Amino acid sequence: MLYLKLPKENFDAFFENLKSFGRIYGPVKTGVSSYAFKEVSSAEEMDLSYTRTMIPPKKFFVKPMEKIFEFDEEKAEFREVFEETEKVVVFGVHHCDINAIKLLDKVYLDELPDKYYWKRRENTVLIGYDCYPDEYCFCKSMGTSYAMDGFDIFLHELSDGYLVRVASEKGQEIIAKSKNLFANVEAKDIAEFKEKEKRRLSGFKLELSISGIQDMLELAHDSSVWQEYADKCFGCGSCNLVCPTCRCYDVIDYVNLDIKSGERIRRWDSCMLRKHGLVAGGLNFRPTRMERLRNRFNCKGSLREGTLNCVGCGRCTVYCPAEISLVEVLQKVRGEI
Amino acid sequence: MIKTENVLAPSPAKIVKTEKMTEIERLIQLEFLDKEFAQNFVYKPGQFVKVNVMGVGEVPISICAARKRPEILELCVRKVGRVTNAIHNRKVGDLLWIRGPYGNGFPMEKMEGSNLLLIAGGLGIAPLRGVLQYALENREKYGDITVFYGIRSYNLMLFREEFLKLYREGDKQGVRFYLSYEDKEDQECIRLQQERSDRCTSGVVTKIFEITEVTPENTYAIICGPPIMYKFVVQELMKRNFDPRQIYMTLERRMKCGIGKCGHCIIGEGSSIKYVCKDGPVFTYWDALHTKGMI
Repeated sequence: MLYLKLPKENFDAFFENLKSFGRIYGPVKTGVSSYAFKEVSSAEEMDLSYTRTMIPPKKFFVKPMEKIFEFDEEKAEFREVFEETEKVVVFGVHHCDINAIKLLDKVYLDELPDKYYWKRRENTVLIGYDCYPDEYCFCKSMGTSYAMDGFDIFLHELSDGYLVRVASEKGQEIIAKSKNLFANVEAKDIAEFKEKEKRRLSGFKLELSISGIQDMLELAHDSSVWQEYADKCFGCGSCNLVCPTCRCYDVIDYVNLDIKSGERIRRWDSCMLRKHGLVAGGLNFRPTRMERLRNRFNCKGSLREGTLNCVGCGRCTVYCPAEISLVEVLQKVRGEI
Repeated sequence: MIKTENVLAPSPAKIVKTEKMTEIERLIQLEFLDKEFAQNFVYKPGQFVKVNVMGVGEVPISICAARKRPEILELCVRKVGRVTNAIHNRKVGDLLWIRGPYGNGFPMEKMEGSNLLLIAGGLGIAPLRGVLQYALENREKYGDITVFYGIRSYNLMLFREEFLKLYREGDKQGVRFYLSYEDKEDQECIRLQQERSDRCTSGVVTKIFEITEVTPENTYAIICGPPIMYKFVVQELMKRNFDPRQIYMTLERRMKCGIGKCGHCIIGEGSSIKYVCKDGPVFTYWDALHTKGMI
């Protein structure tokens, strides 16, 4: 890892230089306590003290809705279409969200890479930014409270600047273009960084034990916990939309008025919706809300991609209209409450 | 670092034959237009493809034949939803679009030197026909081949001519072909039973276990049928001391992408999460014992 110092007075210049690497998106305050990654033209538009955006930065890679093909029966072709392939800089991504993107990378890039995801990932610069936990954050419990890779540049705020970590070639390139803006890291910066990290880690109020969580989940198959929460759950799928690791998608063909041509759309899907396990002929492999809820928790708690499917960002709990807390459910599963 | 081919892009295939097999099932024979794609389109029995009807959608369909001519692909399609209805309406010369093959397929090499017991209910015979064809083409590599085929009635029997030939003369090729039929009034089935009472019985497919002896020695059982069937067939096999690892089955789920990304075919819990499209659709009963909700 390359470590540098960005003095505070150079921050705006650094931000300006980033513009040559793509349109910049950063956390913008959109309501009393809501934030969204929006296009910004100056650093002031961003609120870097944000805790979480409602929609995670997965939206830059797994699009809520995208056209993937245009088809034409007369030309007998399925033509691949790539929407929004411009270069993008996502500024201010937190540790948990970077770890979530790493998980998406495993799904979308490891075997049979998804070209759409790959193109957008290639076109995007990720600038990480440190954070301080609120009462919903539990990334520390999930082992995702610190991002060691998966980003290009990471900024850790210090009193007079930023400790900068550079983790990729793209990051190197950016630094090279703004060389004069950076200074060397000094002992006092390291000391401050360490102190800040210590404070951040001790700031977590929510804790979840994940020791043996996979077994706990399987052993809870017949537990009444699932029905208890399914009775509260609206089955709306909000948890899926705001989850930084949820990546189920559906594909739909839309036909133009000529009935010969049209487009194929891919869009986010939700495992909490009834249709998720439904096959033609009417058989549903997860027909009840209880089964769908249980499946979601099992999916999040699994080590399927070699890592847990949850990064502890707290979004599903914050935005659940039925106020179901993921941590609370898992604590019940463990028999802790 | 990453190959830039689009794994979601389907390849065109012309319908060269479409044959009505029953009121709801058709045999569709396709010929790939892209010869290079065809050459690389190597599949095993038990794998499936995604079939696209332009403007309608995509469905997973199992391949129902062993690979003989690379450019030809055979699918048995039941009319059950929007896309499969559209496939039924397509005629010879029309295009369908294919991507795949997907899934693990049956471990034909591993089963070499063993007897094969194929147990199918209804449309479940389609993927097993691929196994049967493969085994017959490589006859010397496999021991006895036994087929249990459960149908509802004579007019719902798939590949009728082909299978009735095996029913009557299969022994010449070392194939014992058993039939069961659910409609006890079905005159055609009753006639078939009269023809060979040792090979045919009325009732569900597990009834066949009552008219023949099944032993686990050096035998792999391969099951495919409606989801309800697995439990009962496995029960019969376990009664006869089959090891769970000797029992293969292929599963149905909503497999939208076929490549383990869209998430719909997820099964299992905690430590046993699997995607049927990628980790399956062929699993052993041992897998089922270790994966909640598999069967």
